[in-house]
Formats: sequence, structure tokens, C-alpha cells
Amino acid sequence: MALLAEHGDDAKLLAGGQSLVPLLALRLASPSVLIDLGSVPGLDYIRGDDGHLAIGAMTRERTVERSDLVKSSVPLLSEAMPLIGHLAIRNRGTLGGSTAHADPSAEIPAVAVALDAQVTATSSKRGERTIPASQFFQGFFTTALEPDEALTQVRFPVAGPGTGVAFEEATRRHGDFAMVAAAAAVRIDDGRIGDARIVTIGVSDVPVRCREAEQALIGVEPLASAFEEPSSLAASACDPPSDLHGTSAYRKHLIRVLVRRALEKSTRRPKEQT
Amino acid sequence: MSTEVAQRYVGASVARSEDPRILTGGGKYVDDVKLPGMLHAAFLRSPFPHAKIVSIDASAAREAEGVVLVYTGEDLEAMIRPGPYGISLMMNQDKPAFSCLATDKVRLVGDPVALVVAESRYLAEDAIELIDVDYEDLAPIATYEQALDPTNPPIFEDLGSNVLAESDLHTHGDVEGAFARADHVLSVRINQHRHQNVPMETRGFLASYDREADHLLVWSANQGVHLALHILAGRLGLSPEKIRVRTADVGGSFGLKIGATREEVAVAAASMALGRPVKYIEDRYENLMASGQAREEYLDVEAAYSDDGDILGMKVHMVVDAGAYPGMAAALPTMVEGMLPSAYRIGALEFRSTVLVTNKATYVAYRGPWAVETFVRERVVDLVARELGMEPFEIRMRNVVTRGEEPTSMITGRSLDGVTVRESLERMAETVDIPAFRRRQEAARAEGRYLGLGIASYIEAAPGPRAGQSPLGLEQMRMELDGDGKLLVYTGQMPHGQSHETTLAQIAADEFGVRFEDVRVVVGDSDLVPPGFTGGSRSATMAGGAALTTARALRAKVLELGAHLLEANVSDLRIEDGAISVAGVPSSAMGLAELVAAVQEPGRLPEEVDTELKVANSYDGGAGGWSGGTHCAIVEVDVETGLVTFERYVVTEDCGKLINPAVVDGQVRGGVAQGVGAVLLERAAYDERGNFLAATFMDYLMPTTMDVPNIEISHLETIPLDPDVNFRGIGEGGMIVAPATIVNAIEDALAPLGVRIHEQHLPPARILELAGVVEPE
Repeated sequence: MALLAEHGDDAKLLAGGQSLVPLLALRLASPSVLIDLGSVPGLDYIRGDDGHLAIGAMTRERTVERSDLVKSSVPLLSEAMPLIGHLAIRNRGTLGGSTAHADPSAEIPAVAVALDAQVTATSSKRGERTIPASQFFQGFFTTALEPDEALTQVRFPVAGPGTGVAFEEATRRHGDFAMVAAAAAVRIDDGRIGDARIVTIGVSDVPVRCREAEQALIGVEPLASAFEEPSSLAASACDPPSDLHGTSAYRKHLIRVLVRRALEKSTRRPKEQT
Repeated sequence: MSTEVAQRYVGASVARSEDPRILTGGGKYVDDVKLPGMLHAAFLRSPFPHAKIVSIDASAAREAEGVVLVYTGEDLEAMIRPGPYGISLMMNQDKPAFSCLATDKVRLVGDPVALVVAESRYLAEDAIELIDVDYEDLAPIATYEQALDPTNPPIFEDLGSNVLAESDLHTHGDVEGAFARADHVLSVRINQHRHQNVPMETRGFLASYDREADHLLVWSANQGVHLALHILAGRLGLSPEKIRVRTADVGGSFGLKIGATREEVAVAAASMALGRPVKYIEDRYENLMASGQAREEYLDVEAAYSDDGDILGMKVHMVVDAGAYPGMAAALPTMVEGMLPSAYRIGALEFRSTVLVTNKATYVAYRGPWAVETFVRERVVDLVARELGMEPFEIRMRNVVTRGEEPTSMITGRSLDGVTVRESLERMAETVDIPAFRRRQEAARAEGRYLGLGIASYIEAAPGPRAGQSPLGLEQMRMELDGDGKLLVYTGQMPHGQSHETTLAQIAADEFGVRFEDVRVVVGDSDLVPPGFTGGSRSATMAGGAALTTARALRAKVLELGAHLLEANVSDLRIEDGAISVAGVPSSAMGLAELVAAVQEPGRLPEEVDTELKVANSYDGGAGGWSGGTHCAIVEVDVETGLVTFERYVVTEDCGKLINPAVVDGQVRGGVAQGVGAVLLERAAYDERGNFLAATFMDYLMPTTMDVPNIEISHLETIPLDPDVNFRGIGEGGMIVAPATIVNAIEDALAPLGVRIHEQHLPPARILELAGVVEPE
């Protein structure tokens, strides 16, 4: 932390290296100081913490993917993990690294925003502070972290009973960043939707929480016919970018399709997820 | 001479000699070659598609840490003679003129502007960033329309416009009669998109000039050492005997690594100036952006056809986007014109072509460079079938030629002797139950699922027919027995995935009478191997035939010597398992090593006997011939996401006698994988301002094992045309026909939505636009 405090903007933290190293190779990033977190102890853990699951920043994505505790406590995170890149990437990549890198198409930030996770930022001068995920992601590869801060932990709320989840992606190839993905966590209380959380990625410079769509679902019976309107609301909330992999109109269409599929899937299986 | 040869190796899937070293990481590529005192090169490349170079200030780079030399285009002008680079060596183009590195202007994003040689690649790249170039923008030429607009500035002044070549109208057969007879005419523009060779190993080049000896040693990844040598000699003004070009293992090429590029010549010039080895390994960014691209062209087609589905004639205008610097585009139209009718009874063809210069990467050879003929023809067949409401398979069977019946050649003149496309279609119908699929497709549609079946056929000149053609060329080969009695095979073929070390050894072992393990195939050294190159699906026939005839010639020589040594008649002798013996007298056996020693013993043989255990031979291609076949894809299109999945992919092909079935299957699979990439994933995209958009593997998507379907292959082993040599190449076929097969399947899936497809690249967004689900942008 002292190194980071000393070099600030000139330094980059190296976690799993799955995003930073390619940027270095392409000469898109050229920090004068590289601080390797690989040997920093105490950042690799998954533990229950007062209704939350706390995950250390250097926990490998593959570890999160294989964790029974994550599967039972934060099933949406479990669901998202296999969709991150390829196995070799997840063996190196870390939960904290992906969160701090803030790629607008990355899965972990989507889960963090959907579940109102809390990000712990640590600096040598000011100690720790907690940043809500909703405020953490500020733009393309831009977060609320100060130059002397490191992301050290992410805390995810534990899913309540009756919650079903789904993470639906459309990718050009297995393991690619999603053109669009939709994450849904839906709690059913007495046969009706009590809580719904929907996030889309690949559609803006940050993960997009679809609050209008969520609202429209509250108190509704989870039938397929009930999902068309919220899916359209989620699509109309975004003005996605066009690139080689898909036009804006195509991505808008995908939001509708994938949110609908995510809602169908998540409401089909609250039982098996809890 | 005994002609009875025990075929122990040919026809068997002998495990590749190349595999143990390559699959265990022991392969040696140019980048693995390290010479004492070696320096590293990097290039400053243009960020603009079309701009004047006003000034270059390289002073800071020259002073930078570890920098040994900086060359701009001007610096190199005095050292390098004008002339062709790369594949344009084969094209006989005298225009346009251009320099080794850009001098007056840059002509594409990635055009090399300056060369830095430093103690490491890192330092060279650091110094690149210190070179200050003042550019003045020129209007970019990035579309067909921009290139055809005479008010736009010419990319090359000496061309006067951006039209590189324009052909006259060529007419084959009675075109007007065919159109007059036709019940219908289909008019359509069919586009092929720019995509490219992406070998796993990028280009690599290491030049080491020895001042005392006045000799240039080059290590280069290429498809033929002598082609590289001739370009280097020509551009550097060295006599060819002062240059030795060697290759290490070559990690793929697909037509890219032919001759020597501008960058490679610049690196060689730097080595000569410094008297030190200089290595340049292209990075992936450079490979995607500037090493070469292919396939961008369209054909305006009018196809005349009858109510019954007979395709009577075609009128075609082909327009090619050749990119900036000379590659192979100028040679394409003639190839496409000649091949367009393929194995169909298309009785009339009118053809003309326009080749355009644009501010994009050079159009290079890519596996089946002329493949647009198959894509367009096989699309037209399906479009005609759809217009008539007929099964596309039936249209193919109606129009395909039958062996032994007229016509026996294409209307463009090429003989169809030995072509078995009809048989491959019949085999396909036995393998895939088309009527059963149609029933299943109907049922799936009722559930909102869109299944499609696509079929396409092709032939490839492998090496091509002899009849009615210019000679096929001569393939040279040398063989010798070494002191251990091992057979050394020197070939001009330069394998870069084709398995020549295995396949040529199989043929030589069978023909000569040694064990496969006792044959060593020597490649990739201009001091050792005869001239030649690998390309155009020629080597199975040409090098296979050369191996067969050369092994026979050397065997005859050894039998002659054996007759003296064993005091027997040649006709009583045999060579088996590396030993020569009198037939039926095992005790007479003499190992070949022993024979070599005996032959060299003074006085052992009469003076007049030729004791040199070497033969140099050449092979003329015999009867030549075609490879070909039929592919079939069954796909499902998700009309909500536009994503395509394969249910089945079936190949029925004929490449004559198989030397090594596993190698043939590997060639077929690799080609199909590239076809899958072309249709679903790969596009070397530029915007309308000439900016390159696909410079990393996040943008240029290659198919992975997860994207390529399981491929079922069956072989038709054809009618022999030649008494001995009936091996035919199969290197390009998969890539030639797979795009048409897959697009035909996708259109078939979307047919109930009224979809007609006139393009090759179908990413998911485009599929939904075609399906009317999403508005085009």
C-alpha cells in the first residue's frame, strides 16, 4: 500500500494479469511501476460475514466458481463464473481484478451491481472505506477507486429463501465477452414476485440496473406472459453501442430476449437455488 | 525394372514424423533461431489509410537506449532496387512503382514508414514511439465506389486512377442463345468479404550478413526458399549464390508466406549495413493489420435458367478490391473465369472484370484464392432452386456432368477428365437422408425452430488437367543413400502443415524398399534442396510423383550396383527393409549400408560403373487431374439471437489415391474450420474512412474447437488417370467449398421467412437483419 501511495497514478496493481498484461503487450498501458499482488497474503478468502459473503480481492475466479459456499449463498455469482473467458483465464483471473478493471462487458461487476454488493477500498493513509457497487462503476474501465486505493474485498448479500437466479449471455464464441448478457435474481413470496433484480451488460459503459423492469415485476405472478413488458422496459432503458460484433439495434433486441430468458429461467428454479 | 512394389506405407495413416517434435513443444521456428550478436527490428507503421509524408524526424529515436540503426524509406532508397515483393513475384506486373518503406506517402493503416534496429525488441518498440512523422491527410479509398470515382486521388500516381486492371468482355459458348432460350433470368450481386490468413506463427525473418565472406544467411518462415532468395537477390542487388535461405518449422501460412516482403527486405538491408544478424518477428497486431488479406470481391451475375432447373448460361462482372500494394489480385479474374462453370453443364459464360486499388492491406493468396467461383456458383444454384421451388440437391444432379458423356470440358475450355462430383453427390445422398431431413425440418418449424440443410460441390485443380492446358511445370527432386544406408529425399516443397516429411517418406519407402523410419525428407535450405514451393494443392501429384519416379530411378541404380556385388541378374534382385538380396536366397542379403561401403571400396567394381548413389530427377505431373467433392451442413439458427449451431457436417471427397488418410482428413478439417470462420466469425473490417477495425483477436474472431463441428468424411477413391501417380492434392478444397455449404444451410433454415442471402459473412446481427427481426443500421 505504501508503494501505491508513493506512485499513485504512475503505478498499476497486477492481480491475475488477464486484462492488464494484454494491455501492456499492446502498449495501451505503460505504467512506470507495476505492483504484483501475487505474494500479498490475506487477500484470498471466501467467508460468511453477517448476512454477506465476503470474498478477498485475490481469490481466483476458478476458486469462486468451485466454491459450494458461493453456490449456496450467492447463487447468481456461481452462475456467472463459468461464463468468464476460458478455464485458463479463470485459473489466473481474480474476483478483485475483474471488479477493479471495470470492463463494461464483464460478468462479476454485473453480479455486484445486481445484488448491491459492497466494495472495500483500502489506502495506506486513510485505511478502509466501503463503496456500494452502484457507485463503484463510473464508466469504461473507470471506478470510484482513488489512485492510492486498492480494492481488497467484495461483499455480496446472501440470497434469501425463494430466490432464483439466471445469467443469460449471447457471445459470438464460447468464452468471448458477451455481446449482451442479462443477470436476474428473483425472489418469489407466496407465488408472487417479491423482489427482482435485473442487470444488463455490454449495453453501456457500466453494468445497467434495470429498475423500471424490476418495479414492473413486483407483485406479479411469474408466468411467461408477464415477462414481455419488463423485458421491453429493460431494452428501452438502454442505448447500446454498435461495434463489429453487433449493431445497437441488435443489442437492444438481445436485451429483450436475454432479460426474458433470464426471468423465465430464474423464476422456474427458485427451489433448486436455495 | 520390377514394377511390383509392396505398398506398405502408402494408403496407411502412418503417424506423422513431424508430430513428436511439434506436439511436445520441440518444434523450432524462426523465432527460436538465435545467432551471436543478434539485433531486433521493429517498424513504425502508418496510423492513417492515405496520407502524404511531409517530414520524418527520427533524431530522438537514433539517440534512444539500445538503438543501433534507424532507417526511413528515404534511407533505404539508395540500398534497394525496385521490383516485386511477396507473391507479386509471380504476377508480371510492371506497375505501380513503390518503395520498400513508404517515402512520399502512406497507403494503408500499417504501411511501414521506418525501421528501428535495437539490442532488444522492447527497446526497438520504445524508440519507434520517438519518431515524429508529419502527415497530411489524403482522401481515403476504402470502398468499391470510392475506388471507381475518378475524382478521387489515385493511390499510385503512375496508375492514373484507382483501377489496377480492367478486362475485355470474354465470351464462351452461345451466351445470347442461352439467354434467349431461358425461361428465367436471375440477377444478383454476390459479395465476398475481406478476411485473411491467420497462421499460428506470424511472419518471421532473420538476416545475418557476413561481410568478410560477402554472404547473406537468412532464416525465414516461407512456402519456398528459392522464391524468397530471388526477391532478396533482386531487391538487394546480390547475386543469388551469395544468399542462403533456410526455414525452420513453419507454423502455418495458407498462402501468406510467399517470397519476401518489404519489411523482410528492409531487415536484410539493415543486416548488410551492420554486418550483424537482425531478427524481425511480426506481432499479431501487424499480422492482422498489414501482412496481407484476401477475398474481398463481388460478382454481378445474371444466370439464365429453364423451368426445369437447367442452368443455361451466366453473364458475370467481377470486381476485386486489391488493397494497396501489388499482391495476387490482378491474377484472380482469369482463375475465376476459367473455373466458374466447374462440373456443371453451364453452356455459356460471358465474363469481364475490374480490379481496384484501395487503402487496405494487400490482397494475398489465401487457401483457394479463386474460391469466389465456388461460392457464387453454389449460391446461384440454390437461389435458382428456391425460385423454382425445387430441392437444391436435385438441381445439382440435373446440371452436373456425367463421366463419359458430353460435355467433357467446361465451356471455358478446361478438361473435366476424371471429375467425380456426380459420384460425390450420390454418396452424399446415401450418407444424409435428405427427404427424412425435410420432414424433420417441417416438424421443427412448427415448433418455431429453424433447421437448414446446405449442400455445395467443387473441384480444385490439384494440379489440374493436362489436356488443353499449358504444361503443369516440372517438380524437381533429388535422392541419395547415405553411409548408413538411409534414404535422403531433397524436395523443393516447403511444408507448413502439409506433412511432407511423412507423406513423401511413405512413397519413397514403398518405392525404394526401405523402412519408413529410414527415409529422411530434407526441406527448407536453398543450398540443399531443388527449387520449388508449396502451394496450389499441387504437391500430392507433383512431389508425390517426383518421389515415386526418383525413388524408382535410384532403386534401379542400386540394383545395378547390387548385380555387380552379388553377382546376380538385376531381375533376380529385390530391395526390402533396407537390404538387397537375390530373390529366394535370404542368405544373400546385403544391408544398404554395407552396399554403400562396398561401392566406395576402391577396385571393388569395374571402372565404368557409375557408383554415385544419387539421383536428380523431375516429374511433369503425368495426367494431372482434379480433386473435388461435396459438402453438406445441417444447422440450426436461433432466430432470437441470430446464433448458428451445427448439427452435422458431412464431406464426401475425391482426391484420388490417398497417401495418408489421416493427413487428408486433417487438411479437410482445417479447411472447413476456416470456412466456418469466414461465414460466422472472421472479417478484416475497415470503416468507410479506411480505418482498420479488426487488429486484435477480440475483433478478428478465429474459430476455436468449440465452434468447429465434428466433421464426417468419406473418400471416393477415383478412377485412375495415370498408371502410377493418382495422388491429388486436397489442401484447399475444404476452405473453397465450406463457405457456400454453410451459407446455403443458413438460407435454407431461414427460407420460411423469405430470406435470400447474397453475401458470405453472416454474424448473428446480420442474420437477424436478414430475417427481418432487427432493422439494418
